[in-house]
Amino acid sequence: MTGRVDRQELSRMLAGAAAQIQMRHCWLSELDSAAGDGDHGTAMLRSMDRLEKGFAAGPPGCLKTCFHQGGWDLLGADGGASSSLLGTFFLGMADGIAADVASLDCRDLSVAFESGLHAVRQQTKAQPGDKTMMDALVPAIASFTTVARTGKSIPAALEAASHAASTGAEATRTFTARYGRARLLGEKTRGHPDPGASSIALLFAGFYDGLREPKGESGHA
Amino acid sequence: MRMKKFINRPEDIVPELLEGLALAHPNQVRLVGNNLVARAKPKSPGKVGVVTLGGSGHEPGLSGFVGEGMLDVSVAGEIFAAPGAPRCLEALRLADRGAGVLFVVLNHAGDVLSSNITMQMAQREGLNVKLVLTHEDIAGGPNPEDRRGLVGFLPVYKVAGAAAEQGLPLEKCVELAERMERNSRTLSVAVRTATHPATGQPIFELGDDEMEVGMGQHGEAGTGRMKLKSADETAGLMLQMLLDDLQVKPDEELLVIVNGAGATTLMELLILFRRVHHILAEKRIQLVRAKVGEFITTQEQAGFQLMIARMDQELIRLWDAPCDAPYFTVR
Repeated sequence: MTGRVDRQELSRMLAGAAAQIQMRHCWLSELDSAAGDGDHGTAMLRSMDRLEKGFAAGPPGCLKTCFHQGGWDLLGADGGASSSLLGTFFLGMADGIAADVASLDCRDLSVAFESGLHAVRQQTKAQPGDKTMMDALVPAIASFTTVARTGKSIPAALEAASHAASTGAEATRTFTARYGRARLLGEKTRGHPDPGASSIALLFAGFYDGLREPKGESGHA
Repeated sequence: MRMKKFINRPEDIVPELLEGLALAHPNQVRLVGNNLVARAKPKSPGKVGVVTLGGSGHEPGLSGFVGEGMLDVSVAGEIFAAPGAPRCLEALRLADRGAGVLFVVLNHAGDVLSSNITMQMAQREGLNVKLVLTHEDIAGGPNPEDRRGLVGFLPVYKVAGAAAEQGLPLEKCVELAERMERNSRTLSVAVRTATHPATGQPIFELGDDEMEVGMGQHGEAGTGRMKLKSADETAGLMLQMLLDDLQVKPDEELLVIVNGAGATTLMELLILFRRVHHILAEKRIQLVRAKVGEFITTQEQAGFQLMIARMDQELIRLWDAPCDAPYFTVR
């Protein structure tokens, strides 16, 4: 079982997330057309590209720097609110990682995720139920933390997080937007899941895929 | 439906349009650093800098208003998307001439997020920056937080830019910009949708015989759909909503801006303006300054924004002060 993840494995998680966005970016843009300007998918493609490259440019011996660089470069993707919030999330993860740490166990990763969520909450007042990315992000991280506390592996925690994110994103279909640009449409936003929440669900699904895919259960015990 | 636009690769739209702007107006603007649009000749040291940010696809907004007496630096994002904090921070550093920077932000979710992150970073660096948010779109309802920033940015840039050029301190520039903003109201209407230049998709659907009052700057579907009305009826309806919201009384002095959305002709804008003028005259409200044209557009969306602002002598003096930007010149 994967007890710890280092830069290489975290890169695989990010690559898995990028692959999910690559597969579904047209769908994300379609969702965004319902209440926005229809460019969420292309913005997410740019964001993931920057995040992966920034993260990979960081030193293997300092994951804090890797996440910081990835988050800062993602902010520079100029992808509107979604890239600002995602960039903030990864910068926040960096804040939650000690200096000069080269690998994270499940608890460390949960602390980093919680720190990322905390940073996002500093930038947006949106709460679950408002039909935003928070509808997927909040339950995903809550699930990850719950599983991490039981001492299970990172893949098990990611699987739970992915499930929670996708349930959370799907539930936004029946919600009325109360935040961001879409709020001005109110009832008209019902019937489509929120594109931001859908992206978060894809990211967590990709984190899980990316980590388990290459050789199944991998080495570091 | 195939998109009929003169573009090259979708991902090159923004860099190519900024290059075109700089090449066409070399005496007024130049591109510096990470594709920031800056004044060709930087402002003298000791004066307040004025910076803005916003998505592209709304030309001449916002970078067309960089120049002496208006903006010092504009940060253009991707099509309809706010630029991220890294480039905004770079712009604030560039515009800082030792007297602080006024950062004008239009109230849209992405712009506000980016600017808040930028302000945190700027404070960490010890930059002296003050943010002024424009939110004068009455379609958002009574809560100012829900009101978007539409063409009301124009008098705010003009007034703040003139104040900064005259060497007024940052606090005074902020006070004037906020006074201008607080006294501005805008309402928009759309009659035909636009195509997103990067995705080729129509931004919203609108029936042939319909119009929509309260359309967003990015073409987001608005809230007040109704049967198409004549120019006079439309102008009358919108003006009344604006006058009520701003609580304008007889003898007060107004600035009026009629801003075309991209595909509405100057012919139509002038017909609309004429009706606004007549109604104000009937109500004995003084129309002291006016602008009719395209200042912020949404591609080939048809429709317009009507803006009114209550003026005082100080604001009028700053509105009349000289400036020299590619798409706004006062001599």
